[in-house]
Amino acid sequence: MDGTLVIDALKLVGYGLSTIGPGLGIGIACYGCCVATARQPELQGRLFTNFIIGAALAEALGLIGFVLTFIV
Amino acid sequence: MNPLESLAEQVPHLQHSFDSAFVFGSGSFGMTQYVLWMIICFLITLAVVLAASKRLTLIPTNKFASMVEYGYEFVKKDMGESAIGHGYKRHLPFLATLFFFILISNFVGLIPGCKTPTGSISITWALAAISFVYFIYWGIRAKGLGGYLKSFAPSGLPVVMVPLVWFLELFSTVLRVLTLAVRLYGNMFAGHMVLGIFALLTSMFIGSAIQGAPVDGAISIAWVLFLFAMYALEVLVAFLQAYVFTILSAVYIGLATSDH
Repeated sequence: MDGTLVIDALKLVGYGLSTIGPGLGIGIACYGCCVATARQPELQGRLFTNFIIGAALAEALGLIGFVLTFIV
Repeated sequence: MNPLESLAEQVPHLQHSFDSAFVFGSGSFGMTQYVLWMIICFLITLAVVLAASKRLTLIPTNKFASMVEYGYEFVKKDMGESAIGHGYKRHLPFLATLFFFILISNFVGLIPGCKTPTGSISITWALAAISFVYFIYWGIRAKGLGGYLKSFAPSGLPVVMVPLVWFLELFSTVLRVLTLAVRLYGNMFAGHMVLGIFALLTSMFIGSAIQGAPVDGAISIAWVLFLFAMYALEVLVAFLQAYVFTILSAVYIGLATSDH
């Protein structure tokens, strides 16, 4: 089999694996936001802002994986 | 012929249509379509804000001006006040400019036939670099160069841990410019790619139906519905990405200028 083809395929597999972590992280952040909003609906604005910030920080790991597929 | 087979031939053309191409000029002096649309978006932003600011009155009467004012209030309350806290007022013009420009660029890209400037990595790099330089400038101005460098490591750590944590925090600070740029670019580019693929599928299945395959005609209706659903999602993403970019810039400014 062609060596470069295998490396290209492995890059895609590696990127797929690297999205598991951020996916779990954003899921947990969303869960926490939903539960907290159900308990104290009056804090919804602040909670949503914090959720967006947390999700963006977790998403950063997925984005690093995305960039690495181009670089390596 | 199965329409899905001809999709593989069409997708490279779709990908090629997202590449930067010169509208006029070439090489050392020229303008690509993304730069052209960026200038158009600058002009739209300028026109919207100037037109709204002329119609500002104490008692809101003009619907257009109230709409823009509502956007500004959104930046002020949700981003400035909650993310930066004390002394947020001096950063509001910067944040509002970022928010309105990115919002208008994202929405202009949703009009068929227009290109979104934020779908090009060069322009999101530039926006992220502006934000990066801005918060470092204000951090150094608030704490001094030495104080700002020292503030990467949180106080109250054991002495042996300080260099390690300081280095990790420095690394994550430098990565902010990359994540800001790639997040906006990735969301816009991938969204437009998905919309393009659904549009291609629709046209192929309709073409197949005209050549005499009624089942493909029925499937093409499903693709159109998918296309509408994705388009609705993209409208949400266009707003959300402008919001995320601006609030993250606000959080970074808040972190750089706060005292602890």
